[in-house]
Amino acid sequence: MLLVTIFLPLAGALMICALSRDARAVQMTALATTVATLVLTVILLANYEPGTEPFAASSFAWLGESTNVDIHFSVALDGVSLWLFGLSSLLLVTCVLMSWESVSSRPGAYYALLLLLGTGMLGVFAARDIILFYIFFEFTLIPLFFLIGVWGHEERQYAAAKFFIYTLAGSMLTFLALISIVLWDYYHSPDGTMTFSIADLTTGLSQHPIAEPYQLWIFVGLFAGFAIKVPLFPLHTWLPLAHTQAPAAGSVLLAGVLLKIGMYGFLRFSVPMLPEATAACVPWMLGLAVAGIIYGALVALAQSDMKRLIAYSSVSHLGFCMLGLFALTSVGVEGGVLQMINHGISTGGLFAVVGMVYDRYHTREIRELSGLARVTPVLAFFFLLFTFSSIGLPGLNGFAGEFLILLGMFQRAWGDMAPTATLGHVYKAIAVLAVFGVVLGAWYMLWLVQRVFFGAPRESQHEHPSAAMRDLSPMEIAALAPLAILVFWIGLHPEFFLSRMRPALDPLTRSATQALADHQSGQTRAIAAENPSKRGDLLRVD
Amino acid sequence: MSIETVYTLLPEIVLVLAATLLYLGGAFLPARRGWSWLAAGAIVLAAIALARQDTTGAAASSAESAVTYEMIIADEFAYATRWVVLGLGLAFILLAARTSEYGESTEFMGSLLLILAGLMLVAMAGDLVMLFVALELISIPTYLLLFLGRGKLALEAGTKYFFLSVLSSGLLLYGFSFLYGATGSTNLTQIHAELSLEAADSESLATFAAVAMVFVFAGLGFRLTAVPFHFYAPDVYQGTTNPNAGILAVVPKVAALVAIVRIASVAMPGLERMGWQIALALAMITMTVGNVLALWQNNLRRLMAYSSIAHAGYMLIGLAVGFAAAGGAAEAYNFDGVGAALFYMLVYSAATIGTFAALTFLGGSNGEINTVDELAGLARAFPKTAAAVAVFMFSLTGLPPLAGFWGKFTLFTGALSVDARSPDSGSLWPWFLALAIVGALNAAISAGYYLRIVGVMYFRNPTTTPEARGGTSAALAMTLCGLLVVGVGFYPGWLLDEANRASQSARESSPGARIVPDTVASTSTRTASAKLSTAAHAPLAHGSSRGTATSQVAQPRR
Repeated sequence: MLLVTIFLPLAGALMICALSRDARAVQMTALATTVATLVLTVILLANYEPGTEPFAASSFAWLGESTNVDIHFSVALDGVSLWLFGLSSLLLVTCVLMSWESVSSRPGAYYALLLLLGTGMLGVFAARDIILFYIFFEFTLIPLFFLIGVWGHEERQYAAAKFFIYTLAGSMLTFLALISIVLWDYYHSPDGTMTFSIADLTTGLSQHPIAEPYQLWIFVGLFAGFAIKVPLFPLHTWLPLAHTQAPAAGSVLLAGVLLKIGMYGFLRFSVPMLPEATAACVPWMLGLAVAGIIYGALVALAQSDMKRLIAYSSVSHLGFCMLGLFALTSVGVEGGVLQMINHGISTGGLFAVVGMVYDRYHTREIRELSGLARVTPVLAFFFLLFTFSSIGLPGLNGFAGEFLILLGMFQRAWGDMAPTATLGHVYKAIAVLAVFGVVLGAWYMLWLVQRVFFGAPRESQHEHPSAAMRDLSPMEIAALAPLAILVFWIGLHPEFFLSRMRPALDPLTRSATQALADHQSGQTRAIAAENPSKRGDLLRVD
Repeated sequence: MSIETVYTLLPEIVLVLAATLLYLGGAFLPARRGWSWLAAGAIVLAAIALARQDTTGAAASSAESAVTYEMIIADEFAYATRWVVLGLGLAFILLAARTSEYGESTEFMGSLLLILAGLMLVAMAGDLVMLFVALELISIPTYLLLFLGRGKLALEAGTKYFFLSVLSSGLLLYGFSFLYGATGSTNLTQIHAELSLEAADSESLATFAAVAMVFVFAGLGFRLTAVPFHFYAPDVYQGTTNPNAGILAVVPKVAALVAIVRIASVAMPGLERMGWQIALALAMITMTVGNVLALWQNNLRRLMAYSSIAHAGYMLIGLAVGFAAAGGAAEAYNFDGVGAALFYMLVYSAATIGTFAALTFLGGSNGEINTVDELAGLARAFPKTAAAVAVFMFSLTGLPPLAGFWGKFTLFTGALSVDARSPDSGSLWPWFLALAIVGALNAAISAGYYLRIVGVMYFRNPTTTPEARGGTSAALAMTLCGLLVVGVGFYPGWLLDEANRASQSARESSPGARIVPDTVASTSTRTASAKLSTAAHAPLAHGSSRGTATSQVAQPRR
């Protein structure tokens, strides 16, 4: 069933290629495929019971039996990937619906690529083989390259190429790191088979962990690909361009799903397989995360292009997710994963609404728009809703995520596990700065809403037929409504989601948390040895 | 020459006879069309002849089936290469069937068949003289091919290729002379035995072998287009036609790779350290130079020339790993470097021939596709061709799920697995880690120009519509290559197995193969055979089992 779900979009894409002449038929096929995928996904989600990993697994030997290179076509879900899987198939439906009227040139190719991208995204989250993961991970580049390059805006060619090459450069290093992990396990496993299964590797590496200097190198290799994908602060420069130039559906999927792959990679590979390196890198990762939060927010404040503003807000929000993950407290990690999904919903929704504004006004410039709330009240409602969700209004989904992340970070900085000395102060500073990030987030988003949606409707410089100013069509409402429902659902009852992901998260982060504790107590002991006078103080903290 | 030798060489003999027939026919018959059918028929006949021998070989295990005469080695490596060459030949005939009719069809097809015969002989050569003759059998018809156009650029391309090729042949021959001086034999098996003995007791003659290795790399590096022996490639490719460029981008590389595997990595024990050092340095420079220079090209053939240089660098990764493995560095059994290089060669050939087939197909009767800009908007006018070219470009970049991805996967895994078993004792792994990283970053650089081609086809508006008079056979060649690239991408296991098995057999057959004595008069001048019998029989004791690919390297260790 999981296999069917993953390959249904691919089948739809092939079908679209077969009947590419008739635009209406193409749209209907795309819609039917994505809705069917969503239905299957919902059935999968409904059948999931926490703690039954691996869920819905199926696995085939891929490279044949004659070599003992044990690459499998192996897919399954667990509490973490389940929700990202669901988010992907939901956003696919959104994308098809929101493109219904806006994409008129070459619809066959467009929907086929969208569905191909869908298979890639679903595959990434379901893959349980390290090579299969990488294959899906890289494969998502190809359809998105075409989506940006053909249906994008003014600078689309440059944006597509930059996005592709930037991501590829990072992910090639990630590839080397993944191979190194496999080889280490192969050379140190007692039975001498080369396994590529993620679960086997995780257990194998907990029995014979990678030596610490290598862990650090491998961590850096994984970091190169995943941090570019997230994107973490100094590596984010491809993102605003790609987001701005992509067609609306491309932006939605890019923000909603593809950025999550990076963080999912950290969660799936770096943290459980390289616990010591993770522990050693925690201060750096937290620092980069908070730098991203503040930097993204400040740059977002200065933007004059709506899409660009939301793109920078993504940098800031993903910074929060990473902060939660690398706080490495169970609350923080839960918050980080929940916030991934929240970000997918709210930022995906925001990009969708901005795309709809663009369809009507043919501009993304903030100063050319004003008073949209009067002209198109339903559109304004959705934008406002997603804005509130994005800035973390209590009762909506953003609040649940951000609160847990900050709670986790404060635990790390002030709680029982807090380090002392300089590092402790750094953590405290990071925690406080992150809170400022929340304030800045509210500032730039509400300011955007105020400028674009309130005030007097401006006589636009462009001549538009009156039909262009119509409010949302039923299709567009149908595209946004499920997201809006989730905004409330996660906001009002996050425990429903958290309780299902918790059993899967704990084993992933356990070894890293342990390593971090060892790391810090080691440092504490070292400091204590250096300063015997302070020993009493420090031991109390220990 | 015994009848057995003739039987073994029957496929090559068929090709050469057909080539003679073509040359004669062209002189006496006025017809221009239909000659490609004759050439294709020759390929099919050769394939039948090859299939009849190969069935006997396939039943036995690789080492036992390897029949070694003084001059030729018919092991699984040779058979695998010969099959590949016949496949390439068919692709080339399809590719050029129509365009060759505009010019000298018979000369083109005849030369092509000779080139193929030469390439098959390179894979079988068990003797330096044979190897050299086989390499020249590739080079000399190639000069003819390049001159056939008779245009100004064709003359320039032909002349340039001729002089540099002669120079490289000279270097190679000079290297062979050192090898002969050091060992007193031109037979690869005996050279191996002599060198492994000498490595054990005296150092004096082994120095000559080291000099020989440098010259062998220089001479073959020209054919592989390894930097710094690559200078001719962009000019020659640009000056010639698209089908010729396709042949040049593949045939000499296959020849060089196969020859290096035969001579350097198999027949020269004791020099593995030097071998991997040279291969590693060449690999890094070649990849980087090729990829970086390709970024600025606008002529398609020039761009593909730099791309082929870059891919030669990737194949050298495999050779470096192979040398290191032969030298005793631990290696993951299934990611045998030489096997990876052979696999990569095949994957690269499919994508490159496919690209040139597409360009040939798009060309007109008097104007070929020359620049990247001429492909603008191809996706509108020729959606299937554009899709095929996009597939080839993504495969050359190494993106999953296409064949190129598995090529890079095996190469990088091989490089990373060097010495990984004993990281504390060895000093090799930092080098090979650096090699893998350079290779990985180069993949990202190469995306720059491959994506530009894709971008031009898909994102730009058409300026001129190509005539597309290259013939349906070129389109067929393109489709077949496309299917191969996609098919291998989804199911790489079979081909990987074959490549690994071929490289295994190349390692095993040279030192361990039995010698059929009653053939050509022995060229050895010293008492090598006496030494040989002690050296050669010892490592053959283990039974190599086919397919499991876990048997150890059958070489005497120092």
